[in-house]
Formats: sequence, C-alpha cells, structure tokens
Amino acid sequence: MLDYEALKEAMGDLEEDVVLEIMNKVMEDGGEQAGQAMKACQEGMNIVGERFATQEYFVSDLIFSGELMNEAMDIIRPALLKSTGESMGKMILCTVEGDLHDIGKNIVKAMLEASGFSVIDLGIDVKPSDIVRTAKEEGITIIGLSGVLTLAIDAMKATVEAFKDAGMRQDVKIIIGGAPVNQAVCDVVGADSWAVNPADTIKMCREWSHAA
Amino acid sequence: MEDAVKLREERQQLFCDVYDNKIPKRVPVNVGLSLNVVAGYAGISGKEALWHPEKLEKAADELCSMVFSDVCVYSGTILLPAKYQTLGANNMKVSNTGFMQHPNHVGFYPEDYDAFIENPYDCIIERVLPRNFKELDTPGRCMFAAAQAMTASNAVMGESMKLIRKLSEKYGYYSAEPGTGTGVYAPLDILTDTLRSLSGMSLDIRRMPQKVKAAVEAVYPLNYKVGLPQKVTNYGHAFFPLHLATFLKEKDFAELWWKPWLRQVTDYASMGYHSNGFCEHNWMRYLDYLMELPVDTQLQFEQGDPAVIKEKLGRRFILTGLFPLGILRTCTRQECIDKTKEFLDIMMPHGKFIFGFDKSALVYDDINLDNLIAVCETVRDYGVYSNPGEKAGEEFHKEDYVHSEVGAFESKYYKTWEQYLEENPNTPESAKDMITRLEDDIVKFVYGLCQ
Repeated sequence: MLDYEALKEAMGDLEEDVVLEIMNKVMEDGGEQAGQAMKACQEGMNIVGERFATQEYFVSDLIFSGELMNEAMDIIRPALLKSTGESMGKMILCTVEGDLHDIGKNIVKAMLEASGFSVIDLGIDVKPSDIVRTAKEEGITIIGLSGVLTLAIDAMKATVEAFKDAGMRQDVKIIIGGAPVNQAVCDVVGADSWAVNPADTIKMCREWSHAA
Repeated sequence: MEDAVKLREERQQLFCDVYDNKIPKRVPVNVGLSLNVVAGYAGISGKEALWHPEKLEKAADELCSMVFSDVCVYSGTILLPAKYQTLGANNMKVSNTGFMQHPNHVGFYPEDYDAFIENPYDCIIERVLPRNFKELDTPGRCMFAAAQAMTASNAVMGESMKLIRKLSEKYGYYSAEPGTGTGVYAPLDILTDTLRSLSGMSLDIRRMPQKVKAAVEAVYPLNYKVGLPQKVTNYGHAFFPLHLATFLKEKDFAELWWKPWLRQVTDYASMGYHSNGFCEHNWMRYLDYLMELPVDTQLQFEQGDPAVIKEKLGRRFILTGLFPLGILRTCTRQECIDKTKEFLDIMMPHGKFIFGFDKSALVYDDINLDNLIAVCETVRDYGVYSNPGEKAGEEFHKEDYVHSEVGAFESKYYKTWEQYLEENPNTPESAKDMITRLEDDIVKFVYGLCQ
C-alpha cells in the first residue's frame, strides 16, 4: 500500500533512496498506484519549489530534484501509460536566441512536467520565428522564455515582437525567466509575467492554463 | 602624447594608492567594454569581430574618446573561436547572434573520480579533453589541432592586445604591469564548470561528497600552480571568477567550496600576492565567511546591499562592482546620475573602493551610451576625496598568513627541468627559464581548456 505522505515528504526532502524504494515497491505491487505515486512526487516537487523560494534550498538542490523526479518517473512510466494524471495542456519552453544556457530551463521544465504540463522544449539559442511557428502549428498559448545573459533581454523582446508581427500576441501568454529578469525588464520586453524561481513560473502557468 | 603620459601616471597613482591602503585623489573608474559590445557599436557582427578584432579599431577609439574610464575602454575577450573551434569544442560555442559562451556540457563522468584523485592533470588530458574537444580525440590529428589552437589563439589575442596597447598609449590608461596578474578558478569551480558541469556536480555533492572532497584536494597543486604570477607586486592579482558558491547549501559550501579557496588565497597572501574574487550572484549570506579572507583581497560583487557590504567589509577589503548595469537601459540620464551619486556616498568613505559595474555588458544593447557616459563622468567629478594620502583601512602584512603544505605538481605529461637536463645533459643552465616556461605554458593552456 502506497504511503502517499511518506513519498511526498521524501521527495520534498530529496531523499533519493527512499523515493526510489517506494517507486520500486509500487511497481512490485502491480503498478496500480502509479498515478497516485506520481501525484505525491508532484506535491513533493512543490515543496522543493517552496523551499527554494524561501532559501532553504538552492540551485544545486533544484537540479538534484529534477534528476530525482526523472529517475522516479522512469521507474513507474510503464504503469503510468495506463493511468492518467491531471493534464495542464501543452506549452513551449526554450532559451532565447543568443543564449546557450539551459540549466535553469531544464529545472523549470522538470517542475512544469511534474505539474502536469506537456512541455515542448525547443532547446537553446532559439530564433523568435521558430517559437512563433511552433506556437502556431501546435496551437499553443503559453510560452516560457528563459535566459541567463543580459543579451537574452533583447531576444525576449524580439520574440514578443515576433508574436505581434504574426498577429498572435493576443492569443498567447508569455512568461520570461532567468537571472537578468525583473519587473523593469518585463516592462521593456513586453511580456505578460516574469519569474526568477520555478515555483512562481508554475503558479503563473497553471493560472493561465485554468483560465484558458 | 605628453598629456597621455601624465594622465597615465595620475591613473597609476589612483590605483596604487588604493592597493597601498591610501585614500586616492578620486575614485578610480574601472569600466571596460568587451569585444562584442564594441562590435555592436561598430555595426560589425560578433561572428566577424571574434576573428578580426583589428576591425574594431575605429569604433574602440571613438568609444575611448567618449566614455571616461581609467582603464582601456576596449577590453577585448578571451573566448575565441579561433581556439575553440579549431579543437572541435563541445563545451564552447558561438551562438546564432555571434556571442561565444559555454553550454552545460559534461566532460568528466562519475566513474572518473578515482583516476582524477590519482592524478588530476593526467585524467584531464587522457579522459576529459578528448570528450570536450573532438579534435583531441583523434590520434595524430590531435597534435596539429593543439598546435593550431595555440597559434590561432595567440594571433587573434595578439591583435586585441595590440589594440589595447595602442589605445592605452593614446589615452593614458592604467594597466597592471605584465606578468603580475593571473586568472584561475576556485578549486571546486574548476572541477565543475566544463568538467563535471553544474548539473553533474549538483548530483555528486549529494551522492558522493567524499569523492568530491578528495578530488578538490587532489586538484590543488595544479590549481595553485596555474594561479602563480611571474612576479609578485602589491598591485597584481590572482583573478577568480567565483561560480558555484551561491548555488550550494551552506554546509556544502563551507566544506567543499570555501575551505580550498580560502587555502589558496591565504597561500598567495603569505607570498604578498593578492587575490581578486568576482562574487557572482548574491553573496549576502556568506559575508561572515568573506571576513576570513586576507586583508586587501579585492572583491567584486554582482548583487547585494551596498550599504551592508560596505559597512561589514569596507575597512578590510578593496570593494568594487555592485553598480547595476541594468539601469543604463531602464533609467533616464538624470536618474543614472542621481543613482551614481547615491552609490558613491555609500561606497567612497574610507577609500578601498574602485568603481565598476555589477556585471560586464555583453552586447551593445546592454548599454545606453549616453547614460554610460553620464555615469562614468559623474564618478570622475563627484568621486573626489578631500583627504587623499591618508591611511584607508586595515593594513596588509604578508607575515600574518601562513602558507600550507602544497604537494609537488607531478604528471607524466609534465617534464621538470631536472628531468629535461637528465635527458639532454648538454643543455646550458641559461635554457632553464625557457624550458620551464614552455612546460608551464602547456599546463596553462590545458587548464584554460577546462574553463
């Protein structure tokens, strides 16, 4: 029998051995509780995000949490295919043109996926036109733009402009994130929201998803 | 030209006063613009300029004539495709917009720890470099690729240095005496950046902290050696860009990151050699640790509260950075001037302060030129002391620091002078410096490929 609270707590505490042991047990028991196990892990990841926001955890803990989440999901994936979790829909995530940094993006991606989003990761150094084209082709309305370097600010702005030029600006919500981002930068870029930690990104994207 | 010589002397005095623990006549302005920024101003693509810095001469000269600084406004770059692409680098790439940077890349696997602990330099050469540079993974070809990378790098870097020298002579800029400064990483940082990577190290610290600790200890003789200058003066520095510290929990930071770096900085201080740490990200939670550093360590901060940092660290260390580059884009000219004065009011008292931005501009769009000019001129005109020549703060004495026991740097890929002489007994003693320098240049080249 799955101990939901123990799994959630172990994930929040980043206790790798405990999390993996519970996941293996879920599969040994037939995998029927894989959906519940995934939900417990997602809630554990929320704890991680909160602890990062309050500076109990730091970047290296977030990176580890992403790895742990992937390991846990790999174990129960065969059983998960048979069950369904809460789906928040599809969204685009990428590091903008000119910037090759992807650690922050990958952390956010792991946590967004843990929250139920199906993330289309366009990678790094992505041209605005590629983002707009993907949004159009896939009918996606939530766009996450990541960047570490200051030069990312202009690329984020260019991406927002590209959505305007394509006549799609009203159809999409754009959130920017990363080291150089703040409210003043958000205003310059013309994005809808900004975040410097994954928890805020997830909160905003969930709000947009529910409103859609 | 006479004016330039006089200006250079004045500027030298400003910096030397700060380093000699005296109040200078005014706050030295340390503002430089990198190759990509100057290329943006010139309307030349970064992709082109990275190969031809000489094409930036006119633009760099114009910027020097407009932007006030006590160091050369054109600062060039050390990240050159001529070096990295020749080697087939996986860990350093030019972006679509012509800016060279390193994507997260793993060249050192968890199973490499034992070999690394046994001999870091051998492990880097045998295992890591062939993964990070595909041309070094090809027997035969690797010899030519390494030679080409060194030649090409020296040629392109030489063009940049030539330009900096020319502008420095024309405008009378201050620069440290050649051979008195070095660039090196904190021991855990060199193990992290393009070896284990940030993502890999974040896992290792939780899964195998003892291996990480042993690897950090093992890399020390190499790291220490690379950071040594040709000549120790009171004005040269070992520059450390400090990467991983703020991404760690305090317990991990204290044990794995801080201790070995403090050791290195203290070892250098015991020789009279100062360190210059760029405290990347936000170090506010580590200010008490920083207080353990030797007097007159130069600390450049990216984020944090200037008033708190000045109050806590200002009497002991030479502070710089902290002035937000971002306001050049988001504030009006007058707001920039007002903020500069407010900032100087906090940072100037008791000296031990050099003006600099929190981070370097990466591209021309990072700056609004009018605002940059206004900020630099405000520092020049407002940052004047009424008590130049007075003692600034705590006095540095190298005798206050004890050098640790550092094991000899040994590798089958490093030949000492004694080994060389044994193999070539007819070599005169006068060749020792040359032979040693050739070996050490290779060590620095290899180390440079790990950053």
